[in-house]
Amino acid sequence: MLPPRPQDRFTLPRCEDCGKFHFYPRPVCPHCTGARIAWTEASGRGEVYSHSTVYRAPSPAFKDDLPYVIAIVKTDEGPHLLSRVVGVSPQQVRIGMRLRVRSARKSDDVIRFEFEPEKAK
Amino acid sequence: MNKNLQNISIAGVGESPLGSVPGVNAMELQRAAALAALADAGLSLSDVDGLLTTPVRVEKWAMPVGMVAQGLGIRPGYLATLDVAGASGTAMVHHAAMAVATGQAEAVLCVAGQNQLSSQSRDAAVAQMAGAGWAHPEYEAPYGPLVPTLYALVAQRHMHEYGTTPEQMAEVAAAIRGHAALNPLAHKKAPITVADVLNSKMITTPLHMLDCAIVSDGAAAFVISSRPGLKKRAVKILGQGYGFTHTYIGEHDNIATTGAVQSGRAAFAMAGVKPADIDVAELYDCFTITVIAELEDLGFCPKGEGGRFVEGGRIRLGGALPVTTHGGLLSAVHPGLAGGMFHVVEAVRQLRGEAGARQVPGAELALAHGNGGIIGIHCTLILGKG
Repeated sequence: MLPPRPQDRFTLPRCEDCGKFHFYPRPVCPHCTGARIAWTEASGRGEVYSHSTVYRAPSPAFKDDLPYVIAIVKTDEGPHLLSRVVGVSPQQVRIGMRLRVRSARKSDDVIRFEFEPEKAK
Repeated sequence: MNKNLQNISIAGVGESPLGSVPGVNAMELQRAAALAALADAGLSLSDVDGLLTTPVRVEKWAMPVGMVAQGLGIRPGYLATLDVAGASGTAMVHHAAMAVATGQAEAVLCVAGQNQLSSQSRDAAVAQMAGAGWAHPEYEAPYGPLVPTLYALVAQRHMHEYGTTPEQMAEVAAAIRGHAALNPLAHKKAPITVADVLNSKMITTPLHMLDCAIVSDGAAAFVISSRPGLKKRAVKILGQGYGFTHTYIGEHDNIATTGAVQSGRAAFAMAGVKPADIDVAELYDCFTITVIAELEDLGFCPKGEGGRFVEGGRIRLGGALPVTTHGGLLSAVHPGLAGGMFHVVEAVRQLRGEAGARQVPGAELALAHGNGGIIGIHCTLILGKG
């Protein structure tokens, strides 16, 4: 079984049999059904595949963040993953915009890796 | 048509009161729907030897089909709780028909529904859906997407790839509300315009409040049977198909295309008909973008043309392809997993000529489609006049 996701760097599950990355983690590689999978350091770079600015919080815990940008990020390693885009006004987010991982936030034992525009200061 | 299904039909359909039905619990709604469908078929509870239901979210039912059997006072020889999310309504027809085809049962009652609206506040309903696992609990939900956000990502990508516009999505909501206005049972009947949709509150770009399904109380039922001498002209099951692509939208690498491609292809092949032969399409309409994607993926128009297809009244009654003629999840009723059953109920009424003011004249072939999860699982049915 895959150990917990590292918090100090951005990693993705990678199959040691076929060498491909995937996301989200699962017991077998979706490309080759191999079972030797490890959290492997990734570039933390990618682009916006799709996005939506949220104006109504799903629960009170998210109210202070409104409005916020949810995006599907197409990572340079290949896998798509859902995240937030921060450090840019929601109106400026575009499909294809280059992104990099900004930081890991940990609360309630959940690690969140957020993305920001690659060209941000 | 599959020859194993030749003597099997949808014998009766029915529903409970719909909309805001306070003071009534899920079982009472389901019982009302079951009795209506049985009366429609000319059958009684003692004739039921098979039972299918879906999970209920508002009650702590450990074994939903057992609770429903007990609530109805029956002990059927075939029973199951079916859950392929929003595709459950159409999939129930197929599962019931398989039970009848294999001789396991002669009359399968499919019934589901709940008091999704009256049992909780709107905020609680939104929070419940957001936390129900449609977004991955560990890798997606912590970022704060609403269920509508997950569909908004589909809409945004569809707009990017094909030039689909918010006005075209709004037309879907306005057209379907127009159909609900002609359905005396519908929850929301006041007509709306494209401008009303665009001026409604922005929930999660590009989806406004009126691009999203409503929340309702209600239950639906139908009876699948091989019995001869039924009360009404039976409706035939000509084709069915499934399409599964993913559980979580975040990992799907082509989100502007749905599993309706596979489910539609299989259903049309089995029925031996083409999309152009369909008289009325009861498409799953959890969000306006869902309808546009389904129109394309089921083959009613080329990929990417769904937005332009809905323009000019084409999906309204009187148009080339009336869509979701009862008013759908957007306007008629959305009580959770049972929502897709009403599309089947409506298809049957259209094929029997019982749809009243919203009847599609001379309807002989109907398509009913269910979509579950975040465009991840689909079940298409093609039904024919008996």
